[in-house]
Amino acid sequence: MKKRGKGMGCMWYPIGFTVMANPSAATVKVNEDGTATLITGTVETGQGSLTVLGQIAAEELGISTDDVHVVSADTDATPMDTGAIASRTTYVTGNAIQLAAEKAKNILFDVAAPMLGVRPDQLEAKDRRIQVKGFPQSCLPIGEVAAHAQNGAGTPALGSASYNPPTVAMDPETGQGKPFSTYVYATQIAEVEVDEETGEVEVLRIAAAHDCGTAINPMLVEGQIQGGISMGVGMAIQEEMLFDDEGRQINPNLTNYIMPTSLDMPDLEVDIVENFDPTGPFGAKGVGEPTAVATSAAICNAIYDAVGARIYNLPATAEKVLAAIKSKDHSDRQKYLPAG
Amino acid sequence: MTDVTLTINGEERSASVPPETSLLRLLRDEFFLTGSKLGCDVGDCGACTVIVDGLPVNACLMLAGQVDGRDVVTIEGLATLEDLHPIQKAFEEFASLQCGFCGPGVIISAKGLLDRNPDPTKEEIKDALSGNLCRCTGYTKMIEAVQDAARILRGEKEAA
Ligand code: FES
Ligand code: FES
Repeated sequence: MKKRGKGMGCMWYPIGFTVMANPSAATVKVNEDGTATLITGTVETGQGSLTVLGQIAAEELGISTDDVHVVSADTDATPMDTGAIASRTTYVTGNAIQLAAEKAKNILFDVAAPMLGVRPDQLEAKDRRIQVKGFPQSCLPIGEVAAHAQNGAGTPALGSASYNPPTVAMDPETGQGKPFSTYVYATQIAEVEVDEETGEVEVLRIAAAHDCGTAINPMLVEGQIQGGISMGVGMAIQEEMLFDDEGRQINPNLTNYIMPTSLDMPDLEVDIVENFDPTGPFGAKGVGEPTAVATSAAICNAIYDAVGARIYNLPATAEKVLAAIKSKDHSDRQKYLPAG
Repeated sequence: MTDVTLTINGEERSASVPPETSLLRLLRDEFFLTGSKLGCDVGDCGACTVIVDGLPVNACLMLAGQVDGRDVVTIEGLATLEDLHPIQKAFEEFASLQCGFCGPGVIISAKGLLDRNPDPTKEEIKDALSGNLCRCTGYTKMIEAVQDAARILRGEKEAA
């Protein structure tokens, strides 16, 4: 008989480690045609970070993301970055970029103020213009201000900045401290179908609610969550590296190291729970790694709900689930360990 | 050496290659069509998918000699100088790819499906893409893009 069950997994995940130096740096340059160039050391691996970082620069400068030319990851020319790791890019590199763009913007404000007959602090950058707050008709195109900064005032509109989440040493006595700048939270709920006769698990549906601070690009956040869940599904029921006694991997191919295909993927429902983190760029935190954390817990809880079998050793392959179903005692205390 | 003459993306091409050369190596190393990717070279990942006489195949599993006289469409054959193919456009629109390595194979598999079945169900799309492994995306946005491209190709929706 096939039995259905639902299970939930909840998690928190740290963003922006503080136990050691964790810096990113950036330069933002506003060009005479109103575009901007963003120079960053971080590398795009497909998650869309350069889009998000370009959006951050654009938002700060009041221009369109299309106006931002991103130069990234050129070891000859760009600043070193701690890395596209630890779900830190939007948060740490994003903060550096916002600060750099703000510096360039302040130069534009200083140059535009006398042109518009106001103080720099009365200005804002919006809709590709430098304009007087509350009097948007009193404005100058941002490119014109950048040209004047370069050719008239002699103060080119560029800013460089770095951001390093404040390093906090752990208390050597208690081991306590503040190892990360901020945290994200998520809950995933899985619905599974378990074949009691074979132990085979099919994941039917996963609903995932994730907090990532401000979702600067909701579509990309959704992509991260969907991709993370596919990794979580693999971790939960399929993927396992097997080694022989000499430590050689015995399943080094995609024929025997099984990862989810389109047919293994459940229907996904993604809910982005926005909130504003005052320490992040425009309130953003991060989303990458956290997406895969709750999935296997949710799936294993769903398996328990379906057939009363607890799996403590991933992946929950058909063999393990069947053995757990067959073992007399399904209680929470009894841990299933693989034979041998 | 094996002599092969075949049509690639509408153009006749010839080469003389060692007999063990796969179609994938022929495309990549002889004709420098590097859009088809070499992922596993043993038929597991689908990154090398091309269309041979209307059907998607793993180019790493076919010998160059077997395509003599046949018609091959690779990812390079989809876009024109002016425009991306509707499937490519939909993939862009839906942010269907992340690292992109699986992309050429996935898009070719999708084209193979839509050429045969212009109005596939979600299950049929999942089935058609099941030979293309993707480590990044969870496939969801690819499936949505294929559905959207199908609507555009059927003329039910304006291209974006
Ligand atoms: S390279 Fe052909 S299937 Fe992987
Ligand atoms: S987008 Fe990276 S493997 Fe598919």
